[in-house]
Amino acid sequence: MIPQSDTTSSSSVEPPWIEPLLLTISHLTRYTYEGPVQDSFNEARLQPVTDQLQQCREFRFRLDPDAQVWDYPDFYSNCVHYFDVQNPHESLEVEAVSVVQTLPESRGPVPEAGPESLLDPRLQEQYFDFLHSSEFVSLGADVWREAVDALPGSLRDVWSDTVAIGEHIHRNYKYSPLSTNVNTRAFEVIKRKQGVCQDFAHLMLGLLRTHGIPSRYVSGYFLNPRKFPGEIEASHAWVEVFLPGFGWKGYDPTHRRQTDSRYVKIAVGRDYADIRPVGGTFRGKGTREMVVEVSVQRVS
Amino acid sequence: MLLDRYEPEDFFDEMFADKATVRPHYGKIADRFQTLDQAEHRRKQTAVDLAFMRSGVTFTVYNDDQGTERIFPFDLVPRVIPDSEWQKIEKGLIQRITALNLFLHDIYHGQKILKDRVIPPHYILGAKHFRREFMGFNVPKDIYIHICGTDLIRDRCGNYLVLEDNLRCPSGASYMLENRAALKRAFPDLYRSARVQPVDNYATELRKLLQHVSPPSLGTSQPNVVLMTPGVFNSAYFEHAFLARQMGIPIVEGRDLVVRDAKVYMRTTSGLVPVDVIYRRIDDDFLDPTVFRPDSLLGVPGLVHAYRSGNVSLANSIGTGVADDKVVYYFVPKIIKYYLGEEPILPNVGTFLASEPEDRGFIMENLGKLVVKSANEAGGYGMLMGPWASKEEIESFREQIRANPRNFIAQHPISLSRHPTWCHGDSGEGFEGRHVDLRPYILFGEKTTVTPGGLTRVALRKGSLVVNSSQGGGSKDTWVLYGDS
Amino acid sequence: MNDLPTPTAQKPITERRDSQVMLSRVANSLYWMSRYIERSENVARLLDVNLQLMLDFADFNDQQLKEHWLPILCSAGDEETFFSFYDRADSENVTEFLTFREENPNSIISCLFTARENARQVRDQISLEMFESLNECYLFLKSRNAREIWQTGAHDFYEQIKKYSHLFQGLTASTFTRSEGYEFINIGKFLERADKTTRILDIKYHILLPSVADIGGAVDAAQWQAILRSASALEAYRRFHVEDILPKKVAEFLIFSTTFPRSIRACMQRLDDELHRLSGKERREYRSPEERAFGKLLSDLNFLTIDEIQTSGLHEFLQGVQTVLDRLDDHIYREYMFHPPVDIQAEILLHQQQMQQQQ
Repeated sequence: MIPQSDTTSSSSVEPPWIEPLLLTISHLTRYTYEGPVQDSFNEARLQPVTDQLQQCREFRFRLDPDAQVWDYPDFYSNCVHYFDVQNPHESLEVEAVSVVQTLPESRGPVPEAGPESLLDPRLQEQYFDFLHSSEFVSLGADVWREAVDALPGSLRDVWSDTVAIGEHIHRNYKYSPLSTNVNTRAFEVIKRKQGVCQDFAHLMLGLLRTHGIPSRYVSGYFLNPRKFPGEIEASHAWVEVFLPGFGWKGYDPTHRRQTDSRYVKIAVGRDYADIRPVGGTFRGKGTREMVVEVSVQRVS
Repeated sequence: MLLDRYEPEDFFDEMFADKATVRPHYGKIADRFQTLDQAEHRRKQTAVDLAFMRSGVTFTVYNDDQGTERIFPFDLVPRVIPDSEWQKIEKGLIQRITALNLFLHDIYHGQKILKDRVIPPHYILGAKHFRREFMGFNVPKDIYIHICGTDLIRDRCGNYLVLEDNLRCPSGASYMLENRAALKRAFPDLYRSARVQPVDNYATELRKLLQHVSPPSLGTSQPNVVLMTPGVFNSAYFEHAFLARQMGIPIVEGRDLVVRDAKVYMRTTSGLVPVDVIYRRIDDDFLDPTVFRPDSLLGVPGLVHAYRSGNVSLANSIGTGVADDKVVYYFVPKIIKYYLGEEPILPNVGTFLASEPEDRGFIMENLGKLVVKSANEAGGYGMLMGPWASKEEIESFREQIRANPRNFIAQHPISLSRHPTWCHGDSGEGFEGRHVDLRPYILFGEKTTVTPGGLTRVALRKGSLVVNSSQGGGSKDTWVLYGDS
Repeated sequence: MNDLPTPTAQKPITERRDSQVMLSRVANSLYWMSRYIERSENVARLLDVNLQLMLDFADFNDQQLKEHWLPILCSAGDEETFFSFYDRADSENVTEFLTFREENPNSIISCLFTARENARQVRDQISLEMFESLNECYLFLKSRNAREIWQTGAHDFYEQIKKYSHLFQGLTASTFTRSEGYEFINIGKFLERADKTTRILDIKYHILLPSVADIGGAVDAAQWQAILRSASALEAYRRFHVEDILPKKVAEFLIFSTTFPRSIRACMQRLDDELHRLSGKERREYRSPEERAFGKLLSDLNFLTIDEIQTSGLHEFLQGVQTVLDRLDDHIYREYMFHPPVDIQAEILLHQQQMQQQQ
């Protein structure tokens, strides 16, 4: 999933895919522990949504060791699977397999929306969570300075400015796996000037929110036909911005493009903390290894 | 004799209407204390202090691994409230907690009060303790706040004002009970003749309340109620242990509980015993590492899941912190009006919100004259006492307010009422006036009960307005009489 | 203790909803508080007696000193740890190691520290007097005064420790509610006491093999007296056996006496009573193989003779008792205190599930 150093010139942006796709996705997380562990309580956000841009046709959730699974919708309407494994076990596998039909954008072109459209108090209230600081994205001095760099003038049009911010990130930040970790905050990304998609998403959220654009973190997958041999896939992260008169629209800062029918959405939230794919606690000795295997394939 | 040299000065004094006149409800108390001499006072004080040590009503100061236990300094002179005054206070407190429970229900359901623009929504959405996870969640009997400790003060004219509501894990009820026991032992005749309304039923009422909110799935079976504490290293541990003993319920820590199949159990020597209601003295954030703070060792993994599944009740419910917020305090009079259609019986202290532009200007210009508080701190921390602060402190607060106005409120300093208190000064020992407040405890269950009196806290340092135990405060017994004198 | 115990994560769920339950954690703390206090007292007694013994053998050379002290060292400490701090195994070093060394988990100070920590955890279950006495003892040990007393007159020092222990036990007997908690306290005490008595006997027999010349001599007699003193049994023995101190009689006394409360049999009888009280089972009914093994041993003690033991080997017998007691401790933990660590070596820590970064 390395997007840089490809053969196309970095100044051109690919056109969005409009062809609807039927995709099968498997996301396996395997924990191996230092010794037997027990009392493992976990939540998983792995089920793709069904909305106007995609339909989740099938979803299977498998655990090894087997355990009872409950589900509930969280505050952002993400489907959360809750399970606990009481008995001692030395490894835990969580696998989600889904079949998703992505649909083309049917809402028409994005209308122009000037900055004044963002000042509507009802908008401010309804999307309060997506306009303010959150755990990974605190809107402090570092983020503010970077936001001013990204958009030196005032806002002109919400979507164009969103794209401009995306371009800014592409120009100034390097995609570099292992340069950050799962806990890296937005302001740290600014310091390091590199990261992976989770970091770019957080960074972009910081810049968008500083400019008053309601924006949320999206967790999901995308079809990557240009996979290199041996390349590992993982789940992907991008942002969605709220466009007055239109609704939520996705932009992927890692690939410097708007999202299209290659993208499958699982969950939304303020930042990573709201969409953790798998998280929880357990008792015992620590984790020796965590392996994540994701595959996204077209169903022919 | 001991009270002869007492100077009420220019404050509302609880006992003295003026230097020469004792208020009628203090008549018997004044008479009794006048017959005391220094030696007898010292004897009684020592006996009382020792008794507190023995009962373990202490708080722990951990500056070495020994953990020194200190008693919360106790003053022998009770604070007295005549029945007619108390009736009004009681009504006002019941009104307040009723409105706040309705408010919390609304905030976590339809949010009508926000839609009707009575409170600007961003105050709630941006509140530190607003728990999004519990939107739409139905708590047993629709009770969010089971136990509330509301702090009251009196201004120079003697009017009672509400200073703040404590409705996450209010503490101090154990002191209230122990103070009463101490005073009964120290002055049995005085107590008898004064005809004081009892407070001893607090534990019984609390237990009834906890049983009342047992999960509906339990039906009519007797619920198993436990008290959950952070443990022996928490400074309020002795209150937890004390209350648990008084109620006859087990006291547990997070590690004693385990969740199986979305139900909560205690690990006992006889096996896993089901737990139905938890009186938790642990803040929301630390309750369940799977949902809230992952680093919390005090909580129980899976507890929120059990709560959400309706298999266990928590008192107070998760999410009450949003009403504890000092900014929401500002809106309480409006809240009372909105849900009950009544004017508040007990007024708030006049408050300014730093996040409202007109107020902010006023606050910034008058920092040196105002008391500024952080919206979510407790225990007297995060507070600026303008008239007594240094220039650096004032400037530091100015910066903080500028950076995060939503987090600050300001009030004019109220010249709190004072009460004769035994003091040790440079000029020897004697009764001097010290500022006091009052924390009554309200239990909201099948019926709402307000324990007559509550905890009177005293700022022991001369001139100080800060009454918290960790910052040099002490306490007194509070007597609500059956009559007015 | 080699195989993993069957996980008791599936402990029976009771339908009891009364509040007269004892938390496993509290039972655990009461049990260990009691065991560690008993342990500290026993170490104090052991050291006191042996120091006094040394007075009679002032001319022991290094090798003899080592031979004398090593088994004592091993019964309340670890040889390797000792030699990381000291060169010679002489009286002063060994007694210091077993009294004040915090790195030695079985030193008197470590035992009392752990006892106090456990008591703190269950502060509201024990009476104020109990906690205060324990606290005072601990503070005494940490004080400079204690060191000085120890250096000038070790006997007075160890007497003080014993006094604190007796005070604590007396307060417990008079102020602790007769409940399940009391049973755990007693089980801890008697288990530890029985174990220590076997070790006292074993010290003498295991290493100090009497040379033919010594048997019956003054050295031997003094050492057997010391054994009795270590178990506070000298006067009791003398009342029972009017004649001289004979090794066989001493061993018999300390193993079988029904009247002397510190004998192995007496301790085990009390243990048996408490275990049944706790489990609620009938006499001769036991809850697990370990408990049954214990019952069998007790039964053996009622019928064995000292000659039979000597024939098969006193040391082997004593080891056998220690094993049964060890496994009984295991049983108590598993049965009542719940959720043993699945990996016995590991500490049970709460961990966060590792989070996956989104690429």
